[in-house]
Amino acid sequence: MKKKNINSGVHPPAQKPPVQTGLVFFPAFDWAISPTHPEREERLLYTRDQLFEEGIMDLPQIRQYQPRLAASKDIARVHFCVPTVGTQATEAHLIAAGGALVIADALMKREIKNGFALIRPPGHHALRVVHGNRGFCNINNEPVMVEYLRQKYGLRRVAVIDTDVHHGDGTQDIYWHDPDTLFISFHQDGRTLYPGSGFKGEIGGPLAAGTTLNIPLPPGTTDEGILFVLDNLVLPVLDEFQPELIVNSAGQDNHYSDPLANMSFSARGYALLNEKLAPDIAVLEGGYSIETALPYVNMGIIMAMAGIDYSHLYEPDYREQYLQEEQERLNILKKTVHELHGIFQQRHSLAAAARQKAGARVQRKRQIYYDTDQIRETQLETLKVCGDCPGYLLIDSEASGRKVSSRVCCINIPIQGCSNCQAEARAYYEKMRKDSRGHFDHLYLQDRTADVYRQYNYQTKEEAAIE
Amino acid sequence: MLIGIDVGGTFTDGVLFSTGQILKTAKQPTQADNLQCSIFTVLDELLQGIEGSGVKQVVLSTTLVTNLLATGGGEQVALILIPGPGLNLHSLGFFPGAYFLKGATDFRGRIIEPLEQAQVEEVGRLIATAGRRKVAVVGKFSQRNNSQERQVERILKENYPHLEIIRGFEVSGQLNFLRRAVTTYYTAVTREKWAGFAAEIEEAIRERGITVPINILKADGGTMPLEVSLRYPCETVFSGPAASVMGAFALTMDRQTSVVVDIGGTTTDLALILEGEPLYASRGALIEGRYSHVRSFALRSMALGGDSTLRWDGEKITIGPDRLGPAACFGGPAATPTDAVNLLGGGKLGPLALSGSALGKVASQAGLTVKGFARRVVKLINSRLEEGIEEMFKSWEQEPAYKIWEIINKRQVGPERVVGIGAAAGAFVPALAAGLGCRALVHRYSPVANALGTAVARPTLALLLHADTEKQTYSLNLEGITGKFNPDWQLTEAKELAREKLQEIAARRGIAKYANRYEFFLEEQFNMIRGWDTAGRLFDVGVQIASGVIEEFKGVQP
Repeated sequence: MKKKNINSGVHPPAQKPPVQTGLVFFPAFDWAISPTHPEREERLLYTRDQLFEEGIMDLPQIRQYQPRLAASKDIARVHFCVPTVGTQATEAHLIAAGGALVIADALMKREIKNGFALIRPPGHHALRVVHGNRGFCNINNEPVMVEYLRQKYGLRRVAVIDTDVHHGDGTQDIYWHDPDTLFISFHQDGRTLYPGSGFKGEIGGPLAAGTTLNIPLPPGTTDEGILFVLDNLVLPVLDEFQPELIVNSAGQDNHYSDPLANMSFSARGYALLNEKLAPDIAVLEGGYSIETALPYVNMGIIMAMAGIDYSHLYEPDYREQYLQEEQERLNILKKTVHELHGIFQQRHSLAAAARQKAGARVQRKRQIYYDTDQIRETQLETLKVCGDCPGYLLIDSEASGRKVSSRVCCINIPIQGCSNCQAEARAYYEKMRKDSRGHFDHLYLQDRTADVYRQYNYQTKEEAAIE
Repeated sequence: MLIGIDVGGTFTDGVLFSTGQILKTAKQPTQADNLQCSIFTVLDELLQGIEGSGVKQVVLSTTLVTNLLATGGGEQVALILIPGPGLNLHSLGFFPGAYFLKGATDFRGRIIEPLEQAQVEEVGRLIATAGRRKVAVVGKFSQRNNSQERQVERILKENYPHLEIIRGFEVSGQLNFLRRAVTTYYTAVTREKWAGFAAEIEEAIRERGITVPINILKADGGTMPLEVSLRYPCETVFSGPAASVMGAFALTMDRQTSVVVDIGGTTTDLALILEGEPLYASRGALIEGRYSHVRSFALRSMALGGDSTLRWDGEKITIGPDRLGPAACFGGPAATPTDAVNLLGGGKLGPLALSGSALGKVASQAGLTVKGFARRVVKLINSRLEEGIEEMFKSWEQEPAYKIWEIINKRQVGPERVVGIGAAAGAFVPALAAGLGCRALVHRYSPVANALGTAVARPTLALLLHADTEKQTYSLNLEGITGKFNPDWQLTEAKELAREKLQEIAARRGIAKYANRYEFFLEEQFNMIRGWDTAGRLFDVGVQIASGVIEEFKGVQP
């Protein structure tokens, strides 16, 4: 598969292309959602043992990095954290996101050819507006990394491939209206698994139609089925989209032994997937078969990315027949692949038609449930349709739960925002700041064009820039 | 009185130390093919007019094992690996001659794949046919369950009783199968030769009326009794640089951050003492290009020294990497960095004219004045060393961390002082320190600091305990020790057990005196949750007698 050279125009060509695979291993051995929660200290313990005992970090193919703390501003590029970044992003979250940033920097400095941020806590269920923890996630690490790369290195076209068994609804939400981000998620059918979304019809906002693709997989899908989707949809679409960067949002819960899902993917399947997908960066998401799957799957991903022979890698209970796919499931997948490829190929005409039909603005009203923190959010999102850019976004979000009750107004100017939209959105922020109706608790401006993030507290009348 | 002898690549240094002072020093060229002889000559020089019975400690640091490994002079060893699932060591080219067996153990110590008797027998036949007598057997996760290594031993011994089997789990129980294989293999390679050497040394020392135990310096700057070294000869690799670091430690004895610069003939070794504690290499000593489980200081060896040959390659000045002889000012054949320093210092080291004429030859090729050339050389050396030092600090700062508090509490330190070691330190270190913006320490004992550090080093012992309350077992990284672990025990009891075992092993090794100076360096506990219940707990505890100096040593007078 051809890919654009991600460094063209950014850096002078280096003498030698980098040969190593970067690895940030941050198991957060002192962080848990709760003592018995799947996201607990123990989650990457056996992975640690396996990686360390294997000695894979001693090999010249691997270069290990230490994570760092992401800045509040890095988080604010992506999220509206209610009430503040600090309340939603604990140190653990900042380090996990920071781990992804370290890999991103190493890649752009050409120290490594690709990299894996083996970090927790995970993030792909964190939506643009964050009132609390959803699906074990507060902060969405991949978008934080992608927006950092766009800001610092001027990347534009990015593909995020979500290979977690759960639909990457957070990442989808963040890139719903962005035609420059191709988001593809394959996952166990939402009718049978959390978060209950990610159906074929979810193809992105009207102006970014076809740059979100969802592939629901029938429960039980095996290596053969997933690799079929990869070969026949994901890779051809990537080839057409020509991203400057490919990110694997690498959940490991498609594994046949995962306790929270019902799929039949193997460690070697994961390795093969990563070899074929050849992501520039992989970021760990879910995966809760901590003894039977994770130690082997993580090894497999590292080996595949580093070009190390993985033919001797297998789970203790691995049997060749897990690879075989049932004909019925293959038929379903064939149909899905065909449909979605069609949508992708028609994406420009779909977007043009949607723009025509939309008029001045498009709205979507949603109920969002935060399973971990038991918060209910009602959201009204208004996209200002623009002829010159993807348009700016207004979000009216009201959340209530046991510990939370607030209504916030959020304004997002996308990075491609035209000067008109920028001016309008900023003026709207100023207008809202003077709003004395008392509807809202907080007001936020996410100005991606100026890389400026502001928040205003209606009660204290304090305004702050997020740094 | 304490005796320290450091056998280096070029010279063997010795000191006799008592009550805050070095009473005597000795220096002899090292005879690479007869290290014993170098040691005895130095020893006799030190003991002249001294009663052997007055000697309270003897510590040796030697390059024997390092040399054996570098020259391939050890025993022929067959390596048997039980790798289980994971890396394909065969295609990676890891130990080309190794034999691979079926069988596997996982991280919890569960046997996930049985050995195949017929395959083990066949490998035994191949080994016997090849005429090997020593066999190293190493399994992945053998420290969590050593039964497959034992089983291989049993099968091999049944058919070939003459084989000597060295088992991986006994050599090191730390995580990292590759390093365990490397360490076990090289232990097997060097054990016999080392034992012969040790016996000769012991006999010679006893003949001289010294009755106190003889200690050997390890790569981690600590000592071990000679009889312990018989089991772990690999621990003695890189004891030379460790001697220098301990020398710097002995000269400073405070909580400052120092860069240790040991300037030798053709190389300069760099090490760090961070806030009073020598920095260890995160990956263990590199033996023949492979990482091992031998704990060693973090070292950086730069290919430039006081006697490196200076040349002009048509475009730039080159330094070394070769040495044609001593510096010109000491009668050597070519211009060296020492000559550059001597010239700029006005002839403090040796005759100015000798340095001047040797430097002049190269300077004229470069189209520079002699002084200008000498200045350039010194500047070049300093900038290379500064670069090396900076990289060391940087790689220390980038050491991986696995917990939130480690990231949040990451220390940031910079050098406060450059401690010079070696005869040439006085010539180079002050300028280097000035360039780094910190103080220079060149002590009158700097030239023999390596031997001083050897003389006053104390024993070290690092113990790691891994306990699994569900399986009700624990295992240590040392000596392959395993045992029962009470399912109700908590971290407190795990720590208590680790401490007890440390003291037991210390007593057995004859270093009980230091066993009360333990410190915990690792305390981890994990609840194993299966379903919604706690199925057990896993503990990892580390306790050690850290490197340092013996009680009797209170520092040196300035």
